[in-house]
Amino acid sequence: MQSKTVSNSPETNVSRTIDACDHCGLPAPARNGDELTFCCSGCLGAYQLIHHWGLEDYYALRDRLLDGDTSPVNANSPSDISWDELTEANLLGESKPIEIGDGLVCSRLAIEGVHCGACVWLIEKMAMLTPGWKDARVGMHDHSVEVIYDPALTKLSSIAELLSGIGYRVLPWVEGSGAARFRNESRGRLVQIAIAGFCAMNAMWIAIAIYAGEYSGIAGSQISLLRIVGVLLGAVAAFGPGRTFFRGAFAAIKSRTPHMDLPIALGVGVGAIAGIVSLLIGHTDIYFDSVAVLVFLLLVGRWIQFRQQHRAADAVSLLMRMTPLLAVSVANDGSHRTVSADSLRPGDHFYVIAGETVPVDGRLIEGATSVDRSLMTGESMPLPIGSGDAVEAGSLNLQSPFTAIVISSRADSRITKLMKLVEEASLKRTPIVQLADSIAARFVVIILCLAAFTIAIWWSTDPMQAASHSVALLIVACPCALALATPLAIAVTLGRAAKRKLLIRSGETLERLSRPGKIWFDKTGTLTQGRPQVIVENFDAHTLALCATLECQSTHPLATAIVDMAKQRNITLHSRELVSNVEQTSGAGIRGVVDGYQVSIGTLDFIRRSILELDDETIATVASIAKQGVTPVVVAIDGEISAVIGIGDAIRAEAIQTVELLRERGWEVGILSGDHPATVNAVAKKLGVSGDVMGGLSPEQKLLKIEQSRQDGKTIVMVGDGVNDAAALAAADVGISVRGGAEASLRAAPVYLADGTLTGIINLVDASAATVRVIRRNFRISLFYNSVAVGLAVCGLITPLLAAILMPISSLTILSLTLGSNTFSVTESRSEGKP
Amino acid sequence: MSVIFVALPVALLMGAVAAWACTRCIRTGQFDDLDSPPVRMLMDDKPLVKCDVSQSETNL
Repeated sequence: MQSKTVSNSPETNVSRTIDACDHCGLPAPARNGDELTFCCSGCLGAYQLIHHWGLEDYYALRDRLLDGDTSPVNANSPSDISWDELTEANLLGESKPIEIGDGLVCSRLAIEGVHCGACVWLIEKMAMLTPGWKDARVGMHDHSVEVIYDPALTKLSSIAELLSGIGYRVLPWVEGSGAARFRNESRGRLVQIAIAGFCAMNAMWIAIAIYAGEYSGIAGSQISLLRIVGVLLGAVAAFGPGRTFFRGAFAAIKSRTPHMDLPIALGVGVGAIAGIVSLLIGHTDIYFDSVAVLVFLLLVGRWIQFRQQHRAADAVSLLMRMTPLLAVSVANDGSHRTVSADSLRPGDHFYVIAGETVPVDGRLIEGATSVDRSLMTGESMPLPIGSGDAVEAGSLNLQSPFTAIVISSRADSRITKLMKLVEEASLKRTPIVQLADSIAARFVVIILCLAAFTIAIWWSTDPMQAASHSVALLIVACPCALALATPLAIAVTLGRAAKRKLLIRSGETLERLSRPGKIWFDKTGTLTQGRPQVIVENFDAHTLALCATLECQSTHPLATAIVDMAKQRNITLHSRELVSNVEQTSGAGIRGVVDGYQVSIGTLDFIRRSILELDDETIATVASIAKQGVTPVVVAIDGEISAVIGIGDAIRAEAIQTVELLRERGWEVGILSGDHPATVNAVAKKLGVSGDVMGGLSPEQKLLKIEQSRQDGKTIVMVGDGVNDAAALAAADVGISVRGGAEASLRAAPVYLADGTLTGIINLVDASAATVRVIRRNFRISLFYNSVAVGLAVCGLITPLLAAILMPISSLTILSLTLGSNTFSVTESRSEGKP
Repeated sequence: MSVIFVALPVALLMGAVAAWACTRCIRTGQFDDLDSPPVRMLMDDKPLVKCDVSQSETNL
């Protein structure tokens, strides 16, 4: 390693056994002095690649942008597309390279894992350094990268490989209808803001000219010109960009649900119409400037909220992430050909190598392997399958290649059907009546009563004045401060949450989470680590070294757990040449000679076959380990039992605390899992969860369970894996996903915890309560201003000038209070604990 | 002060031209990505070591 000067988070001077990986920030072995440390070889490789290209500024830039908070650029994210195959244009879909002249072509790809400006910098700089790759343009908003390259010098596949080499997942671009809709809506809103802004700014200077002119004396012809232009601008703002409020109010009346648009539409509409009428009948009290500014400010506030909510726009489709786009089909003569997974028909043969995901539902006809079906069942342990067994799309082939016959095409596979359920469930989620909206409904009634009251008391004095005073009341009573502050309060919280790696797609979530309800946890990968680990052990260093050396020969997850443990303890393994006579029995164990010792590792039965007698103590230990919901593994060296270990899915360190803190806040906690009920109960016991603990559920059953529990009327929260539990997450009132990649997770769940720890849930719950408190406080202040203004209006003291002064003051007070509020400060000291 | 009869329409026209230009920029997608451009300016254009990708594997 040439350089030791990689800047890192300020916490490195604290002595401890675990440090943050210098590439991705995940836990890694402790560093020696100022040596660099990495959590895995993927990160080391990515670091070396970046360093060798002279691009180490990436780290400095990243740390500057994220305030020392390293982003999880995952170097070993699986690449399930072999880009070499993607030379055929028909397989690339919308990423098909387009000729742009000068022998260059341009292609648009979807990219996952771009978190901040440093990633943009790295990718765009890489383009400059690669021969043949002319330019790259990263779009952080829609997770895309546009590459311009010279097909004579480089290939799209090598560019994609470079990008995945440093940890970005690259996929062919699919123009999702969602992305296009988002873009059009965002542009539409901006255009409306531009028009409203033009009207508001001009209306303001015209208003100033009128008031100043009235004060110092102005010719009648000039003041009427100013009035005509001003009213025109106000009317354009109200009925042009402002018509979104009328539409909202109309929809609210039609569906009889209260909405904030109702009082706004009332104020804006009355203001604009009264302005035109006054102009026609020659009346002097007109409110055009207040109306235009109101429309402009409200549109800006709503746009900010809209943008915060769509920060993590869904660019990559969920289904595409879970099943590969390409498949290897086997022709009758046995030759292999890469085809698009959609083209496989029932009866075709296909081939899946180890480490790849199964593209369609099928049945094995050749080969035997074990598969990870956690996507469908949530079960963490691999399932051995052989010839004649069914295999589902989305399962991961763990051990050896196999050939299978297609049972159902991709469109009919179980995973596709499950994804349809996800879409349906998320559409069915009942919208809640937001706090501000429920207030708005009562508001409208009160204001209309007061307006009628004003007319009544002034009618006897002068009908003309009665009308003008009630118009003034309707305009000043418009709760613009509240209407502006609510989206802003939500947007501010969403922004602050994103900085703490809590990505939230919908602002409603905050209101739902502010009151305690019922929270369901998935087990595998949520409450637990999600991969097998040695939990119970009585290893000595010598035995562990022998076991780990032998297990290096196997790719079985239980074997990997033993090897991982040896790595964690920094135990030197024996060299590979000393291993001989290795013999693996699927689903039972492994046997071999290491450095002259006969080593057997496996189930009790497997050991029994090689050693004739087993003492009672070993059998008792095995039984007690099995009781804890952990898989017992027995190790025998030279015919004698030397260790009995338990391998299972360890509970996450923060899980117990999180469950406890949620309980303290009044939440009911339950567990829904696809895993074996005994294992689930063992985990529940350790966490102190009783009552609602259910195991052995399929994704469909989980969905049903969530829908059932929703009938109680409480807020139902589901915490799970963004991919496995997609349907349940989508059905819950609030789905919180802790794993599975941000882009895919946010399609199913409105919340994604990007740092992958459960403590984020507590932060989120506290921040939601704080946000709702801020909204309530805003309402009280807004109510105070409005009562004063309404009081003045009833007394007939409101003039257009007074309205123009009073309204911005109330908005400014509330805006500054909202922006200054500390929604996250309560949880800050506890959860972060950093200086 | 009768200049206002000329100045006011002219001012409005100028504003309208700016609003139209802004709308055009929005419609052509210039404001779609508000996240990457503000960080692009942070990237210094330092001279970089040019090297071949294939070399990078062997030299490390």
